Amino acid sequence: MGTLQKQKDMSRRNFMALAGGAAGLAAMAAMGLPTGPKAYSANIPDIDIDSLTFVENKTDVLVVGSGMAGLLAAVKAHDAGAKVLMVSKGGLGTSGQTPFARGIFAYDPAAEKLSLDKFVAAVSRSALGTNNPVFTRQMARHSTARVRELKAWGFFDSPLYRDAFSKPIAERNITIMERIMLTHLIKENGRIAGAAGFSLDEAKVHFFTSKSVILCTGAGGFKPNGFPICDLTHDGTIMAYRIGAKVTGKEWNDGHPGQGENAAACFEGWHGVFARKPGITGVGVRHDLGVGLNYRAYMTGNPVVMSPPGKGGSNQVKGGPYVPDEFKRHGPPRGEQGPEKGPGPPECGPPGKGGAPPGMAGTLAGGSSAGMSIHKSEGLVPINDRCASTIPGLYAAGDALGSHLAGGIYTQIGSSLSGSAVQGAIAGEAASGYCRSVKKIEMSKAEKNRVKQEILAPLKREAGYSSAWVTQTLQGIMIPNFVLYIKKESLLKAALAYVEELRDHHVPMLRAADLHELRLSHETANMIVNAEMKLKASLMRKESRGSHFRLDYPDMDTQNWNAWINIYQGKDGRMKLEKQAFDSWPA
Amino acid sequence: MTIERIEGCIGCGTCVKTCPTDVIRQDPRTGKAFIKYPADCQICHLCRMYCPVDAITISPEKSIPVVVSWG
Amino acid sequence: MGLNMRVYIKSHYFILSGLVFTGIPLLIWTLDDMAARSLLKDALSILTLLAFCQMAGQFFWARTNRGAVDNLKMSSVVKYHKIIGYTCGGLLLLHPVLLVVPRFFEAGITPLAAFTTVVTTVTSQGVVLGIIAWSLLLVLVLTALVRRTLPITYRTWRGLHGMAAIGFILISTWHVIDLGRHANIAFSVFIAILAVGGVLLLGRHYNIEAIKNNGEA
Repeated sequence: MGTLQKQKDMSRRNFMALAGGAAGLAAMAAMGLPTGPKAYSANIPDIDIDSLTFVENKTDVLVVGSGMAGLLAAVKAHDAGAKVLMVSKGGLGTSGQTPFARGIFAYDPAAEKLSLDKFVAAVSRSALGTNNPVFTRQMARHSTARVRELKAWGFFDSPLYRDAFSKPIAERNITIMERIMLTHLIKENGRIAGAAGFSLDEAKVHFFTSKSVILCTGAGGFKPNGFPICDLTHDGTIMAYRIGAKVTGKEWNDGHPGQGENAAACFEGWHGVFARKPGITGVGVRHDLGVGLNYRAYMTGNPVVMSPPGKGGSNQVKGGPYVPDEFKRHGPPRGEQGPEKGPGPPECGPPGKGGAPPGMAGTLAGGSSAGMSIHKSEGLVPINDRCASTIPGLYAAGDALGSHLAGGIYTQIGSSLSGSAVQGAIAGEAASGYCRSVKKIEMSKAEKNRVKQEILAPLKREAGYSSAWVTQTLQGIMIPNFVLYIKKESLLKAALAYVEELRDHHVPMLRAADLHELRLSHETANMIVNAEMKLKASLMRKESRGSHFRLDYPDMDTQNWNAWINIYQGKDGRMKLEKQAFDSWPA
Repeated sequence: MTIERIEGCIGCGTCVKTCPTDVIRQDPRTGKAFIKYPADCQICHLCRMYCPVDAITISPEKSIPVVVSWG
Repeated sequence: MGLNMRVYIKSHYFILSGLVFTGIPLLIWTLDDMAARSLLKDALSILTLLAFCQMAGQFFWARTNRGAVDNLKMSSVVKYHKIIGYTCGGLLLLHPVLLVVPRFFEAGITPLAAFTTVVTTVTSQGVVLGIIAWSLLLVLVLTALVRRTLPITYRTWRGLHGMAAIGFILISTWHVIDLGRHANIAFSVFIAILAVGGVLLLGRHYNIEAIKNNGEA
């Protein structure tokens, strides 16, 4: 904490000294300017703000998000006796990362040679201790039961999940409200009291009074081109951070390369994986998609000749991220995935994405994934194995929970999707149980008014920055120059200076002419907070491990850094960071 | 141009509901889908795969400059 | 029949109608700036499109259009009318199903789900028009098939057949212009002319008959 404060002061004092790096960043930041959207201009509203209405909704458990975690959370909270309402920015089974995940891990103790203990130990070795073995074990232990349920709902019958997801929701008569973006969590008397947001289709602001909230909002990135996560902007994490929840895992970074040609084309980049039906994967622990390839590109330039994943790209280039000897191989042989595994992902696939990632086949070139989260590593700090956060009544599951079930690297294909299902179910049951202890929850008028103002502010501005332009500027700061791949203090600080500028000067001036743009402006604001978190956590972790690689601290430091970094908002509104030892829960 | 065109739309609204990034809207007069926010298309093809009459054509080029990590 | 058919095929009118009801739609199709689609989809589209144009052509290949059938025996005109009516009408009856057939061969929603979505989108004007047109077509084809067993005179049946045909062609044309993937302006104008022309032709025929009947009475 103290260290961080010092760092921040230093970054300000040294600002001028960093001008060199900053100038380079400025050039990149300007990338969006020439052909991009108009930066600053008058706001000509496309909707009648005065006709906006306010809607009150009430429930026991509010499930936010409609992917794999949200589905199981809603179903299990309902089955445990709670009144459930599901709200999603997108649609059931059609938004976030779930629609594109094709491999789901199922640990069948009868069929696997590896015992559960040995599996967990192998994941911990690959993750270099960064995983939380409690969640690793939990995921494996419950995975088969969840997969069985999904099978019964028809999940494996189609590459499109909407019908399969609709089945259990419809059977239970669970209310689902789609295309409503939540922007605020509301806390009263130290515990969760509900949430608020707005509809993308009608001029309506929604308030949700609920005893408990489960965030199944995924994680995100900086709208990376070529990856189907451009609707994931850490909304849940940032909402929770703003009411005091602790957040973890921000220094980890997905190392996916991208396509050389048409870098933004997800469908083409994933080589037909999206058109496949999902499949089940068995045990095969690996050490994939860290930043090894990026290191090679950084050292030798592009185009990089693709080497098998797991090699860390170190066969010709000296130095770079450390890969344990045990995992320096070309993934598990096909046989290890066991019989009857369906059309699961090929060997190169990262967990939960079931299939060759972009660039793993075809022409390999610049990626844009910088800042994209590693599954299950970025999100709310869990205080126990029941997916509870540091705020009473607030739960998180799937990528919204920083469970570190695989740590800061990819270890087991398909564990991400099954992890979401398993955690969703556990959080659902836990939240339902919590509700029984809560008598009545009410939101104060004052709080509602404040939230209302914050939600609608970009619509009411007479002029301002377009969210599209600010997002492109943010991408220009965070994505190129290996800022988050090959980290070094000077560049991280330079980027941070720019991000702080966006935070202080651009976010308060974002404009929105309609509900779509209102969504974009809140997403942009969330991404900027996330950028600040990622840069600060990366600066703080003075070692290299897994997908976090510091050029100035290339070695693993088990003395000081067998710890996760938790981030929270201090009383003064500033971002604070602290360590939490790997084998502990938050105090 | 990301989503390129929508031809033969019957106005069922499925694409609006299944687009993760809210690119498509229905014309309030005709009920037909049109590409309202092409810059936000992530070229994931979900809308195309969900469309009952295969009305949506998508091209792999993005309509705005693409920021990549290294090129 | 052989001889009559040959006479028919040699007639100028046949060549002209071939050009109009098959050539023009194909020409418009070729000139249209369309998205590239699979062979199966294109084939199904062309088949449907041509079937529709032949159905419109039925108005011009009957005794409503005396110039066209003058040198033909009435029996062969009827025969030809029936062949086209049953094949093209049958094809158009299958159109809602053919529409979703490509879904069998590609990732996405199932053909059944696609079909269900299509026919339940009753908020769409085009879909409703399509359903009405399809029902009228079904009536046309079925009543033609079982005409002899119906307890009505030939004259009444012919009147009904004509009315149903007028309803079908007008509503289906509207449906095509509203929803058709290939209904660009040229094609829309073309089929609108065909439909209206066909209806006028039939109307004129009925008018003449009515006058004749009145005169006789």
